[in-house]
Parts: sequence; structure tokens; C-alpha cells
Amino acid sequence: MSAQITELIFLQQMADRFNIPVPEFITPPCSSKNLTDALSRWGGKGMVKPDVLTGKRGKAGAIKIIHNSREALAGMQKISSTPVGEKLPRAAYVVQHIPKKYEIYTAITYNSKFLTPSITVSLSGGVDVESIPQKDIITIPVDIYRGLDAYQASGILEKLKYPSKYISQFARALVSYWDMFISTGMKLCEINPWIITPQGKPVACDFKAVFDEANFKFQNLKLDIPEYPEDISEFEEEMNEWQASSHQGQAHVSDIGGSAILPILFGGGASTIITETLMEYGGDPIFLSDFGGNPPYERMYKTVQICFKHHLKDASLLLILGGKANNTLIDVTFKAIADALTDYAKEHSSLSCMVVIGRGGPHLAKGIFVMKKSLEALNLPHVIFGPDTPVSLVAEYAARLTI
Amino acid sequence: MRAKTLHDLLKKGDRIAVSNITGREAGGVSITSQKYSPNIIGGWALGKGGEKIAVSDRSSIPVFSDFGSLLKKTSKNKYPNKAVVYSPPQAVYGDVKEIINCGEKFIETIFIITEHVSIEVTSKIHSLALEANVDVIGCNTLGVINTMDHVRVGAVGGDNPEESFKKGTVSIISNSGNMVNTMSSYLLSAGLGTSFGISTGKDALILTPLLDFLKLAEKDENTKLIVLYIEPGGLYEFEAIESLKKIGYIKPIVVYVTGKLLERKNLSLGHAGAVIEGNNTSASAKMRMFDEYFEQNSFDPKKHYKAEDLKRGIRITALHHLPQAAQFIYQMNGWNRDYEKYTPLRLNPWCINLGKRAKKLSSDCVLSHGNIPQPYRSQLEDLERSTLGATVTRTDMRNRSHASYSDGHKVGIYGQSLTELMEKHSFIESIILYWAGGFPKHEFETKLVEMSLTASLTNGPGTISAQGAKLSTSAGNNPNTAMISTLACIGTVHGGNGRKATEFLIKIFRDIDFDDPYEFDRRSIDIQELALKRAKEFMRKKLSAKDAGIDYERIPCIGHPVFRGEDINYDPREKSIYNYLKGIGKTNIFLEFYHLLVHSLKAVGATRNVFAVNLDAAIACIWLGICWNYLKTSKITIQRVLDIPFLSFALGRAAGGAGEFLDHQDYGSPMDMRIPVSECKTANKD
Repeated sequence: MSAQITELIFLQQMADRFNIPVPEFITPPCSSKNLTDALSRWGGKGMVKPDVLTGKRGKAGAIKIIHNSREALAGMQKISSTPVGEKLPRAAYVVQHIPKKYEIYTAITYNSKFLTPSITVSLSGGVDVESIPQKDIITIPVDIYRGLDAYQASGILEKLKYPSKYISQFARALVSYWDMFISTGMKLCEINPWIITPQGKPVACDFKAVFDEANFKFQNLKLDIPEYPEDISEFEEEMNEWQASSHQGQAHVSDIGGSAILPILFGGGASTIITETLMEYGGDPIFLSDFGGNPPYERMYKTVQICFKHHLKDASLLLILGGKANNTLIDVTFKAIADALTDYAKEHSSLSCMVVIGRGGPHLAKGIFVMKKSLEALNLPHVIFGPDTPVSLVAEYAARLTI
Repeated sequence: MRAKTLHDLLKKGDRIAVSNITGREAGGVSITSQKYSPNIIGGWALGKGGEKIAVSDRSSIPVFSDFGSLLKKTSKNKYPNKAVVYSPPQAVYGDVKEIINCGEKFIETIFIITEHVSIEVTSKIHSLALEANVDVIGCNTLGVINTMDHVRVGAVGGDNPEESFKKGTVSIISNSGNMVNTMSSYLLSAGLGTSFGISTGKDALILTPLLDFLKLAEKDENTKLIVLYIEPGGLYEFEAIESLKKIGYIKPIVVYVTGKLLERKNLSLGHAGAVIEGNNTSASAKMRMFDEYFEQNSFDPKKHYKAEDLKRGIRITALHHLPQAAQFIYQMNGWNRDYEKYTPLRLNPWCINLGKRAKKLSSDCVLSHGNIPQPYRSQLEDLERSTLGATVTRTDMRNRSHASYSDGHKVGIYGQSLTELMEKHSFIESIILYWAGGFPKHEFETKLVEMSLTASLTNGPGTISAQGAKLSTSAGNNPNTAMISTLACIGTVHGGNGRKATEFLIKIFRDIDFDDPYEFDRRSIDIQELALKRAKEFMRKKLSAKDAGIDYERIPCIGHPVFRGEDINYDPREKSIYNYLKGIGKTNIFLEFYHLLVHSLKAVGATRNVFAVNLDAAIACIWLGICWNYLKTSKITIQRVLDIPFLSFALGRAAGGAGEFLDHQDYGSPMDMRIPVSECKTANKD
């Protein structure tokens, strides 16, 4: 999963650095006096917001207007413990209320049509972008080398008929916005809304960003990204850590709530097809997995060891399935799986699941031979297919075995 | 795009240069590619300039330190026109920039195989390439194969491209590299081959969008049908379909769209990216767009379609419907299949053992054994035959050992501390541990190994190995050199027969059920019968070979050249070992078999007297006795068991060579091993 941040981290760690105007804010622990002082500076009005990794906070009723410290403290306590959607906030904080003349929507992201970054702007901000009519939105490509300059930014605003007397100030803010995007290795950055004050000052009033962890700029940024309460399982968490520990081979899993089939699947494409077919035909896969990428023995062993530790006990069928590999060495991966299975069986005497295997690729015969010998030694009922049986047919068969 | 047809992307005669060619993946893939189509003119890798990548039956691939050096050493008319980038993610931008800067005039296409390239770099590469009019496939492509021209770049087709990719009339364009392979195999089951297999790459930015590929495929004269494998994300399909409608695209398309499952997952903030690009990036939206374009619901294998129904093609919902949908389109267009012979897709289990579980399953789930196609059938049969013992996976062992360990404080062998071995075990036991991976089951086996080592020390000063030590000493060499000379003078003929004896015994005993060669059930294993059967078989082969005037395979380790001429002959060293076992009331099944065999050979008339069982056979039997259970339980490899008897002989004889060195050094004259000129004769050619 890509690294993501929301408004609070932006306020705390990024806005100043990139000279982007933002509202004042206060985070807990905060005293009554601090809040009272702040509110008097802010004209007696503020907002309590949850720091949560999801959008649509306003829609969910998770933003509360406050006028005094008592309301602020009570609001923070309530909002910090109330889930937004299905996500629990990490904390709640208070931000200055900004009087608004306009609310502007902006996003910078990489665009698959232009194959470059693009900036999207609409004067109808403050609401979900889906609800803004297409005619009110402008998206233009940004040259990856030259970046967004103030003239280009003002050109967009002119097209949108943004009041000309305020253009200069906002165009400069948009250039800072671009500078932040491109110098931090972001994939996506949405500011919605920019509130334009009656004096024409733009203030970034909500924020979300996704970073590209493959970009060295993000790695060098050394942001202190907090851990958000995640609704991921221990299994996903352990596998995520293991996946992040090396680039050798993939180790992606995602719980999908099933209970019958433990799927060790190879290849991003094949694994989705297999899981979709399993579900289509009434199978009950425990998770979605993608373990391709020619993992070395040790990598594969630990990957399946984690799967077995969390789920083999409950599974009625172990499905080891992938298409015809181009690079992944089948003997290496199968030996690792067979060894992990054998080691698991040594520790847990009651291993009785069925095993269905389908695979093709380099060193296939040796891989199948190793797997067959191990399954025979473990006395596990098994069916092994080669690449001449389609993965989707094998998945359909595996689903039928568990119904 | 610079390319006008798919053929321009990759064709016969292209000259390919590969970055980071010595990398783990690039090296292996390049060797297979070069065997399939020798189109790689060279590669480069930092610090590896001057190396060569060997390719069997082909000329090796030269490696340069960078792309510029590759060009300097290449004549202009042989400059590469395609580049394949396998560099690590951080180096991709630099490499692509260098390729474009140095090769702008002659590089037509760059294939970027590397995964995990940042989206910013990908976008910059697009900008650079666009300006230089260079086509880029990727990033994160698996490559492209042009089956008609028998050429490929990247790893499409894995280590055996011929298996999935046969000449034909379907072009596959896929976001997933693996699916290029899989779908081409499926198409073969409908008698359809492939013209092009293209992995577009599956990063967020795909630098050659679908529309460009479709336009190139439309102009490809070999391609009749286009098969697409589509994943969620990006506007590529939306852009393509909008354009296809406008231009009146003429070739039919079969498409499989995957990833609907992912829509059920909460994508959190990532959703914003999709929203900004519009509602046309999800799997559901792509399915809908294609169905609208085809003016058909998704493919129903039971439905009867009319020709006009599938004019533009159809979307399939199960991948195994691909052959049937493709076949329909061919039939309706009146096109012939590419191949008359084909095997329809079906569940074909290669191995099945449901055990007692079969009784609990519905009958349609209990499959019968299928047919394993070649070459897998032969490979599996060979493995079954040859892999008594452990099947191991080879790995990098540079800094690892299963046999020994040392953490700087404790040293040991197979988990046993060296000091404990010194204090509680003998040298011989420790050697057995080091070689077999465990201690012998019976105490007397240690004595047997000791006897065999003693017997191996010498067979007198005239043996070749003793002569080796003496020659080395005579020349004034050091003690270790004398031992090396001894070892250098043993080989498959002198000392190495133990391997053949072990092979011979394993062949006979591998399928006989016993775990301990000293404690076997004599009622169920008739060694006499085994020996007689083997003697008769040998006699039959010997007679047939004599009739045919050809040589025949001898039984190893019997009939010693010295110990012969009696009615019943013995190698005294072997006899000593045999008698020791008799004395303690033990029988080694292998050695007993050897003794019964030499008598049976005489009985059936294969030999004129009872041959001696040689020392080599005894050594083989002793070590096979120790290793047998490890072998049967797959703890050690067969290779190891075959090598140990020779090592045992070599160990004894090296010590013997040391004895000859000490003696010769004390009493011999310098150069005394030299043969006087007067005794040397010129051999005439007959």
C-alpha cells in the first residue's frame, strides 16, 4: 500500500516548508486557556476535525463547529472516538475557521491520458469532485520537466472566470502546491477546498496525498507518518511488513473474509482471475494473494510460513495455483512451499486439508516432483495439474471440492 | 508512435542491446532469448565490462561497462536498434537517458522490464522518448514476442517460448506478462497460434497506450484476431474505444477484463486518483465500455451466435472461454484455424491421490489420472527413476554450508560441536558424520570404515598411486605435494570402481523393501535368488553381445587382476572385512549379494572360476550400508552416496602416499624415479 497522509500531517510537517497558506490549528493535549486564546484570535469560531485516513469527513458529520473551549474539548473527545465510515480516527484537532468568499477544488495527479502530471481545478470546491459537473472542471497536463508556472496557473483560473483581482495571489499558491507535489515524490495530492477569503487570500483547508514509495524524493523526505488505526488483520499486517522488507518477489495478501480455501497464488493477473473464479463458483477463499516475481527460496518459505501460521489450521483446501511462469523458478518456489508445509505438519499433528496445485513454468517437472513427494510423505490428498489445464478451470474445480 | 505496424516493434534482423545484462534475471532471460533468436548484440553492466555471457550453441554475448562503450566497440552498421532495460529502479532514468542521448538516431524502441520505477521517472521517460521519437514499451513489461519472425525481447514465453508460442494469426495484448503466455497456450487448444504476444506493462502509466497497440495490430497482415487482457486503472481503454468507434476499427477483439473483485475493497485515498480521471477506470466501467462497443452482452458458451453478432468481437467472463469464443469468430468469418490438430482444454490431472477423501467427494470431483504431455512426462519419469534420495534445490552456497558451522566461537559439524566430537567420538565417527550427515546406526560400522581405510592405505609400492608419491618425492617436492600426487594418480580405473559398484547395487536394491542392510527379513528377501537372476541376466547379455560382436557391460568390482587363478578367489582385504562381519554374526546384504553373485556367475557359466570380490566392492557395501536409510528417507542425495566410496579410498590412499613420501625422502636418491634413457623405447605404430 502506498504511504498516505491527511490534513493534520500536512499542517504539521509540510505546509510551512512549501509556503502554502493554511489555517492555524491546535492539537491535543491542549489547555482550555490555549483554546480560548486561539478562538479569540480566530474571531471566536473554529472547527474540530478527526485525523482519519478517509475522505468525506464533512458528509459523515465528523466535523463540528465550535465557539468556545468547552465545546472544543467536548468535541475533540467525541470526534476522536467516533469512526468515520469504518475507520477510527487517530486523534481530533481544532482548526481556525476561515471566512470564505470562494471554495476551490484542486488536485494534482499523474494522468493516464497525458502520461504526465495534470492539475485539475474547479471553482465549485468544498464538495466531492464526483458531484461537480464536468463543464465546471478543468484538467490540463503539466510538463514534467518545466513544471507549473504562475502564467500557466493564472491561465487556468482565467478560463474558469476566477476574479482577475485575486488571480495573482492564488496562482502563486498553486505554484507552491506544484512544487510540493513534485519535490516530495507524490502520486496524488488533493486540496479541497482552498478557501478564498473575502480579501482574496487562498488558504488550503483540507488535504490528502498519496506518495510513491518508489520515488527517492519521498524516501529522502523522512516524513514522520503516524500509524493510523487500520482495519487490517494481524495476518495482513505481518505480510505487509514482510513484503516491505525486500523487493525480491511479491508477497501481497488481502483478507476477503472467506474460510475454506487457503490460496497461494502466483502472478498479479492470474491471482485475481483465480480468486474471481473461486468466488463465482461458490468457493470461499480466505484472502487474495499474489506471490510471484521469482522469489528466492528463503523469501517464498517465509511467505507461505506466514500464511500457514495464520490460516492453515482452519482451511479445508490448500490451493497452490498460478499460470505459466516466465521467470519464477517452479522448483525453488515449490520446494519452499513443500518444506514450509512439512515443517508446519511437524508442529501441528492434525493436518488434513486437501491440496490442489496447478502451475507451469521453468523447472516445472522438478517442482511438481518435489511437491508430490512431500504430499505423499504427509499423506495429504492431492491433485496436481500442469499448464495444459487452465487456471480458471482448476479454480472452478477447487471451488467444487469445497462446496 | 514511431512504429507503423507491430512488426516495427520487433522483427527478424533487429539488433538488441540489454542493460544490466549480468543481473540475476537479465542474464538468465538473455541466454534463453539468444537461443530462441540470436538478436542480442551485447549488453552493459557497471563494472562488468569485458565479461561475456556464455550461450550454449551460440556465440557468447559481450558485456560492456556502459552503453557508450558498447557503441564504441560496435561498427556503425551493426548499432543496436532496440534496447532492453533491466537496470535497478534507481538506475532506469539514467540508462534510458543515455540510450536516447547516444542512440537517438538509431534506437527505435526501448523495452523497460524493470519493476518499481517511480511514476515521476516513468513520466519523464515518456517526455524524453516523445521528443526523440523513440517508442517505449513498459515500464514493467515482460517483453514482446513476434512468433512469425521467431524473435523475442524480454521473458515472454519463459524458458521455453516454443511451447506456448506457435506461428498463427492472433495477437495478444495484455497488461499482465504472465497472461500473455497463458492465453497463447489456451488459444493453441483451439488450433490457433500467435502472431504477436505483447506485455504492455502494468504500472499506473503505460507508456504505449492500448489504442496505439490496436492501431499497430490492425495494420499487421498476419493478425486476424486481437485478444486483450485488461486490468483496472487508467483511461487507456476509454480512449481506445472512443477512437475505435470513430475510425471504424476492422479487426475483431476478444477481451477479458479482470479486477472487479478489487472494487469491493476499500481503496481509501487511492480512490481520489480514479475519481479525478473520471468514471472510466474501474473494471466494471471497462466491462461496460467493451460490451457497448461490441453491442453484445458477455460471451455465453451455450448461446448460438450469428456472424454479425461477433463482428466487433466479444468480452469473455471466464478465461477458459477464450478458445471457444475465438473459434466462433473464426468460424463466422470463414477463417481456417492455424492448426488442424489441437487438444481442447480440460481438467487433466498429472498426479492425483485423493486417498480416503475420494469416498466423501461427489463423483464428478473424483478425477482419473490424466495424460502428462511431453517433455514433462519423460522428465518426471526420469526424476522418479533417478531421485532415490533427497531432491535438493540449488542455491548460492558461497558463504553457507549445511555440513559445518562456525560463529567465531563454536565450530562444529552438522550441529555437533567439534570439541564434543573430539572428546566423545572417534575420528572415523566424525568422518561418517561429515560425509553422511549423521552417525552410523551400528557401532560395528565404525570398525568397518576403519578397516576399509586401513585396507586402502596401500597395495604395495608398485601401485600407480604410490608411484605418484614416490615420483613427486624424487623430484624434491614437499609432503603435501606428494599427497596431491597420490590423489592425482587415482581415478575411475584405479580406486574409482566403488562408485560403479554402488550404482550397480542401488539399481538392484532400490525397489526392495528394507530399511537396515544388516537387519533385513531373509524370508521375504531371497538374496540367492537375486544373485542368480542377475548372473543369468549377465550371461544372456554377454552371449548376445558376443553374437553381435560388440562389447558388453561388466559387473563392477569383481575379478581382481592380482587375485585370480584359483577355483575360488578372494581379495584378502575384502575377505578380512567379510570374515569380521561373520565373526560378529552380522550380514551386510550388499556384500552378501556380491559373494553369492560371484558363485552364481560361475554356476551359470558366465565365469570359468569364482571371481574375487574386490576391496572396492567391500568399501561400496560398507558405505551403502551406512547411507541406505538416509537415502531411503530422502535425507541425502544419491550423488553423495555414489561419491563417498571413492572419497573413502582416496582418504586412505592419501595417507598411504604420505607414508611413501616419508620413506622415499629418507632413503631415496634425488631423481631416482627417472627411467634411464637406455630403457626407454620408441613405440612403432602398428
